[in-house]
Amino acid sequence: MAAANWPDKDDHELLGLIQDRGHHAFAELVKRHTERFYRLAYRYVQSKETAEDIVQDAFLKLWENPGIWQPERNNKFTTWFYRIVVNLCLDWQKKKRPVELDDDIPVSDDREPLDTAMIVAQGQQRLEKEIRALPERQRTALNLCFEEGLSNQEAAEVMGVKLKALQSLIMRAKTTLKDRMKHYL
Amino acid sequence: MGITDDEKLEGMLKSRHIEPASPDLASRIILRASEIPQNQPLSLWQWMRQLFADFLPKPAYILASVLILGLVIGFSTATDTTPTDDSNPINIQGFLYPDEGPL
Repeated sequence: MAAANWPDKDDHELLGLIQDRGHHAFAELVKRHTERFYRLAYRYVQSKETAEDIVQDAFLKLWENPGIWQPERNNKFTTWFYRIVVNLCLDWQKKKRPVELDDDIPVSDDREPLDTAMIVAQGQQRLEKEIRALPERQRTALNLCFEEGLSNQEAAEVMGVKLKALQSLIMRAKTTLKDRMKHYL
Repeated sequence: MGITDDEKLEGMLKSRHIEPASPDLASRIILRASEIPQNQPLSLWQWMRQLFADFLPKPAYILASVLILGLVIGFSTATDTTPTDDSNPINIQGFLYPDEGPL
């Protein structure tokens, strides 16, 4: 089949071809979606190398066992694959030592004027630590909902919860973060 | 009206730093996949063939399996044929003390 045809095929067609050992179809799927799954993995692990390894593992799992994709049980490839990536990220975090929040990040106050860029950077650093300290489901909800191009409904499907439950998780996560980040808000 | 804490937090969450992926990430994954064979789902017949191919050349496994199978069948048979009727205790006494009359 001509290479120019691959981008015209939708994900489900490509997956069907992958199940028939279609390496070109696999290549097309990888090129199409690597970036978005990498972004999600990075939000969890905060490390380029680890995020890349996780995305690679997820795609190779699909390549090695294409039968794990069951079209009759899943509506959309990306929703299903986000779940795989999230699970790999959570597995990776469980293997790592538990999160320890250090207090080495100085909190700015009115007495000492700091460079705005530095405050922003500190705030972001602190935010990442606080997100890592959230309960697993709240963290997942937050990471998915702020992922570009993923609607709340899709995020709820990835997590296997109802939309209301997802919104509740987000609200609880935000309440915790607002409290813990009050010096930066 | 100023920006609320909610909006500020939202802004921070939207602007979380993400280090860009390596430009060759997709190519690396594709290359790695080309080195790995695919596991196709096996039909029942293929599965049976593989099972026999794996196990038949190993006499130790066969011997152990036969032994376990024999024990299982033996135990289940023994359970079925063991007399469990102990409703007549006199018979048992007569058996234990054949020379003595009943008390």
